[in-house]
Amino acid sequence: MDQNYTESKHFRLFCTIVLTVLAVIALLPILLIVIASVTDEKALLANGYTFFPAALSTDSYYYMVRQGGTILRSYGITILTTVVGTLGGVLFTTMLAYPMARSSFKYRNVLAFFVFFTMLFNGGVVASYIMWSRIISIRNTLWALIVPNYLVTAFNVFLVRNYYATGIPEALIESAQIDGGNEFIIFLRIMLPLSIPVIATVALFSGLAYWNDWVNGLYYITDPTLFGIQNLLIRIMNNIQFLKSGSNAALLGTQAVELPGTSVRMAMAVIGMLPVVLVFPFVQKYFIKGVVLGAVKG
Amino acid sequence: MKKQKGLGRGRASTWQLLLIAAPGLIYLIINNYIPMFGVFLAFKDYNYFQGIFGSRWCGFENFEFLFRTRDAWLITRNTLLYNAVFIILGTMFSIFLAILLHELGTRKRVKFFQASLLLPNLLSWVVIGFIVYAFLNADTGFMNNTVAKALGKEPTNWYTTTGPWPFILTLVYLWKYAGCNSIIYVSTIAGIDKSIFEAADLDGAGKWQQIIHITIPMLRPTVVVLTLMAIGRIFYSDFGLFYQVPQNAGRLFDVTQTIDTYVYRGLMELNDVGMAAAAALYQSVVGFLLVVGANALVRKLDPDNALF
Amino acid sequence: MKKMLSLILALLMVFSLLGTVHAENYDQVVFSYATFNNIPTAEDLAVVEEAINVITREKIHAEIKLKPIVIWDYSSQISLMLQGGDQIDVFESLGDFNVCVTTGMARDLTDMLATDAKEACELVGDDWLAACSQKGRIYGIPTLKPIALTPMVIYRQDIVDELGLDMSQVNSPFDLTEIFRKVKAGRPDITPLSAVNTGNIGLGLTVPHVDYLSDDYYSPKGVLMNGEMTVVDFYASEEFRKACELARTWYNEDLVMKDAATTSSTAAELRNSGKYFASIASYSYPEADTAASLELQSNGIKLGAKIIGSAFLDTTSVNALSWMISSTSKVPEAALKFLNLTYCDPDIINLVIYGIEGRDYVKNDDGTVRYPDGFDAASVPYTAQLSCGTFGNFFLMYPMEGTSIESLAWEQEQNKNAETSAAMGFTFDNKRVKTQYTAVSNVIEQYLAGLICGAVDPETEIPIFLQRLSDAGLGDIIAAKQAQLNEWLAAQGK
Repeated sequence: MDQNYTESKHFRLFCTIVLTVLAVIALLPILLIVIASVTDEKALLANGYTFFPAALSTDSYYYMVRQGGTILRSYGITILTTVVGTLGGVLFTTMLAYPMARSSFKYRNVLAFFVFFTMLFNGGVVASYIMWSRIISIRNTLWALIVPNYLVTAFNVFLVRNYYATGIPEALIESAQIDGGNEFIIFLRIMLPLSIPVIATVALFSGLAYWNDWVNGLYYITDPTLFGIQNLLIRIMNNIQFLKSGSNAALLGTQAVELPGTSVRMAMAVIGMLPVVLVFPFVQKYFIKGVVLGAVKG
Repeated sequence: MKKQKGLGRGRASTWQLLLIAAPGLIYLIINNYIPMFGVFLAFKDYNYFQGIFGSRWCGFENFEFLFRTRDAWLITRNTLLYNAVFIILGTMFSIFLAILLHELGTRKRVKFFQASLLLPNLLSWVVIGFIVYAFLNADTGFMNNTVAKALGKEPTNWYTTTGPWPFILTLVYLWKYAGCNSIIYVSTIAGIDKSIFEAADLDGAGKWQQIIHITIPMLRPTVVVLTLMAIGRIFYSDFGLFYQVPQNAGRLFDVTQTIDTYVYRGLMELNDVGMAAAAALYQSVVGFLLVVGANALVRKLDPDNALF
Repeated sequence: MKKMLSLILALLMVFSLLGTVHAENYDQVVFSYATFNNIPTAEDLAVVEEAINVITREKIHAEIKLKPIVIWDYSSQISLMLQGGDQIDVFESLGDFNVCVTTGMARDLTDMLATDAKEACELVGDDWLAACSQKGRIYGIPTLKPIALTPMVIYRQDIVDELGLDMSQVNSPFDLTEIFRKVKAGRPDITPLSAVNTGNIGLGLTVPHVDYLSDDYYSPKGVLMNGEMTVVDFYASEEFRKACELARTWYNEDLVMKDAATTSSTAAELRNSGKYFASIASYSYPEADTAASLELQSNGIKLGAKIIGSAFLDTTSVNALSWMISSTSKVPEAALKFLNLTYCDPDIINLVIYGIEGRDYVKNDDGTVRYPDGFDAASVPYTAQLSCGTFGNFFLMYPMEGTSIESLAWEQEQNKNAETSAAMGFTFDNKRVKTQYTAVSNVIEQYLAGLICGAVDPETEIPIFLQRLSDAGLGDIIAAKQAQLNEWLAAQGK
């Protein structure tokens, strides 16, 4: 026992060291972006990206703020859609995964195939566009940012199914059935509470997908009061990319379009990440708790 | 430990279960199945006035461009090899991270590690392209300016040298995704019955032995499922990774050109919706056949872990 | 959040109501354009629409709905919306003239022009209209603006003064080598030439007298050179080889930015960094104006410009930016009439570009306009100013403060005087060679940037490039072009 104790202590030390190194590798490039975003544009171009810039400047953030008070509003919209989308997504995903995990369910394989098929084949953007914008008119509503594409994805459904099928002892279900519980009760009372670790995972993935999304905004939103933060940023960023191609610049014949420089682009990247960095520790508290909680019960 | 064969062998109520699945199913029907009529585009000579159903059928004409090029082999090879490497290394690395994170339990620093490893996932490929460029560009790049100088080496022109790029792209891929993917394994490990570890502790098994004999085997179902899903998409490539990160540098095409970038570059001027649909269908069909095959194999060897 | 939601909902309802009130009486035309500026909110846009409608209700018995779309995604969004069955009546080709015609996106306007767009046709002239045709049918009206792009070198005046260089002797890119060497010797801290776009140091377009025959300027496949009517492989030409060799000389002597093929910085950024002496690109303004307009955003660096080539007009230079009526439009006459107004009605065009006077812009005494005090392009409720070169009649627009009004005359002259290809009006339909197009495009993407930026040795690389092109089927493309060109020539009676 004693030997085991010191061994695990050493092991934890080893884990900490390795993870520290990896965390630094993950963070350094991001730090580089943050520094570049406050580097004076001229210094940035003359010396390239560096951790120790010659001159600092907050011009790029000033530029972004000048783009209007729209940034705060679009943060609001992104946060709202992320929260609602994630909650709805997790609920539907777990509900769909549960029957697929029941080995005595006749159609479990049919269902699994049905879900998996959506991961491989899709009808392309035009068909989805027709579906969502013409048949179900959700254009220029907040629903357009929540419902299409991300709500239930095959990947998440399989993650949950896999967890149910392997991580939860079947005796629990059998005893619940003996107690006379129907499927709804088993799902709500037993499966949901026991699957908190995987729910936390799926919620995280779904949240990231909503946070990073700009496709729905691009296709279904034309009113800028409903733009999420990524839509705001992608417009500026991709207009730059557009003009960087020689043929487009020649086409317009207007080399005189004033484009924001590199540091502004870096500032945009930072603005896109900032709220997540601020909010994540709180989310994480629940996440880690969830993972541990689930473990204790399981 | 009980043999795990799915949940509850007791009779399941079919209609109740279907009802529970219904919202998700209806969503998939609306979001994915109905729009699948779009695949017709792949066989159409699309005309805007006639619309998707009125346009002329053109057989497999739209698929021709995928094969009638000297590069057909090259782009297929690159796509497959990169995906294979990403599946293998990505899985190993994510599991490695997950085990390390798990061993630290609920300590404060876990939060920090997890957050830092997740952050790269929030950056778009365009921005990541800038970062890589910041490291590798010939004049002011970090590698040439600082590292090469410190080592007294000749500067390398990174964007014209193909050799290092398979490594660079793999590294960038792992940097962006590994932290995020490790979360799946963290939650799976957390789901393992604690009494198994306690029993092993009592038997005097060390940490390494526990990891090798308990943790990793317990992760197998997850690995199998994730790998099967990845095989389904093995003909797809992450467009941003292969287009934005190498800055579209022509000299690197031998190692950076994949099916997606080839299609994109080829259709830039043509804007042909039929050909784009054909490429996507081709990628899906091949992935589908592969995954059905792989799934059949898994079903034979390890029936509990098959996808369907 | 809840408050905002209900506010948004209320607004949406108000607008849908407003929309239906007039619907009975007037044709509803949707006018979709690409914009670099912020997308205005529905309320701000409605004010501009109403101001336009006051004019259009009376003049053409129609009401206009404006639909600004971000420029980078404009073509694919138009395509998406037309496929999706949305109403888009007027749209611009934005470089894809052939795609718009061959896929049936654009309506055949030939028989409508005389009645519904008489003024616009007179303004642009028959030659330009012919450039928007395919097989004798007209599908669009080209934007009337300075299109004659003249290759120039833009250089730092302060360094020219400091080193006593004589730029007046520079008349072609080849004359630049000596100047660059002097700059390199006099100011070793500076690289003489920067890239102007990723993979482009500007040399490609300095090759004179090339008709690109409907290809992208930066990805030519089969072209006409030196007035001959034989379609040739651009990359096999003497001129291309010379340009590559020149770039190679510059590259070897460190006279050009090493990263030109992959740089992620924009031309303006590079200029402002103070690390480069010159750049080469084509502009539609006179030398002094070009330099002056670039100076506005160059952080106080003094700039000069010198013409190093001549403008050359081919079909693509005219039809790259043309306006079309969608084939699915239910109100093509009204749409075309409105399009016509953007060429001949100064009130309409300035409303579309600048919005409402007093709110979005104010007029100066000299006829130029500026943003209201305390506002700029990013903060006014409505502006599409950055896209000014893409709308109807450029010459009717109020000039922005700081641009010289006299240069408009020079630009109109250039449009008339610039040398014009003998194949002006011919458009190539690539339908039969699409497969080859995709393969050839990929090969060009792979080799061109390296060659034209001097990063590789033309001696060894051009032969490989040519081989790969012919493997990819460039021969088929050239043959198809020649066949169509011959047909076209026969039809013209030339």
